[in-house]
Amino acid sequence: MSEHDRDLPDLIDRVARTLREPVATDGALDARIMARVLAAPAPAAGGAWWRWLRRPALSPLGAIGLAAILAGVLLAPRVRRTPAARPTLSEVQFVFVAPRASSVSVVGDFNDWNLAATPLARAGAAGVWSVSVPLEPGRYTYAFVVDGRRWAADPDAPRAAGDDFGTPNSVVLVRGAS
Amino acid sequence: MAGKLARLAWIALWPVALAAQDPRLGRVDPSVRDSVAALTDSARVEGLPANALIEKALEGTSKQARGPVILAAVRALAAELRSARSALGSSSTTAEVAAGAAALHSGARPTDLADLRLRRPAQSLLVPLGVLSDLVARGVPPDSASHAVLALASRAADEDYLAFRREVERDIALGAPPAAAAAVRLNASARQALTAHGQKP
Repeated sequence: MSEHDRDLPDLIDRVARTLREPVATDGALDARIMARVLAAPAPAAGGAWWRWLRRPALSPLGAIGLAAILAGVLLAPRVRRTPAARPTLSEVQFVFVAPRASSVSVVGDFNDWNLAATPLARAGAAGVWSVSVPLEPGRYTYAFVVDGRRWAADPDAPRAAGDDFGTPNSVVLVRGAS
Repeated sequence: MAGKLARLAWIALWPVALAAQDPRLGRVDPSVRDSVAALTDSARVEGLPANALIEKALEGTSKQARGPVILAAVRALAAELRSARSALGSSSTTAEVAAGAAALHSGARPTDLADLRLRRPAQSLLVPLGVLSDLVARGVPPDSASHAVLALASRAADEDYLAFRREVERDIALGAPPAAAAAVRLNASARQALTAHGQKP
């Protein structure tokens, strides 16, 4: 151990004692500090967000993210409004002869088998009922409902195979535009 | 603990599942509604035309069929759609798959559908499959109908298929046995094709 090393504890003790001694301060120091604080301008309201808005700064990653969000907000409504490519609709006429009927409707795959969706109109005095329905290409099964309760297949169209629910259906094949 | 979490997750997600359900299913018999919804969800996941299943359930509902009858019909159709898609290939359109399912329902075999796809790889099969089902519905035996549709596949356009069906239907309406009507018209079509190519029948 060197002489310098032996003196080191004494030196530390002396420094510590000096630091522990009370420091005499000016009695008006507190008043002067508070006066400076009160005179300084108040920070702007809103804190960090307001400061960022006044002086925006973005990291490259943040800029990309913000651009993606803006693009999504601006483009999404346009994408939703862009009509999808729809197949051409073909007008299919359904005709049924029922001289004594007071109402006839056609129900099928194209109108969710809804009895009220597609009523036929009288097409003349001979009891001919008809309606025209725009359909996309496909194979549809359907039936007529007379007076809201009697189901009947189309006598002029092919019958659908099978009879799952006790009344026969007809089939119409709508071709796509070629 | 895991059970509690699963129950909580189910309670939290139930409204989402209800909201995702097709609103048309609200018309279906409540006793089978959830089962039909599950079948349509599975069909969607498999890429099958789930709408056909919903329409089948709605058909049964409008015809006031009992719940179990509706469910059985929807299940059978789901199986036919799956089989049709498998036979026709994954690139088939939903209309083709639905028409294929109808052909299977008529009595056609999955191999007939696969053969038809092989013979018309780039053309829509909607009309040939529809004609196949229609011929069977008019009384032509499924084997004869499949044979006729496959025989026409390599040379017939959609218009030819529809003309063939009209002629067979007319013959049947005039009293010809359905199988004979299909065979006669098929032979006539073959003779026409040979004549068109300058060959003697």
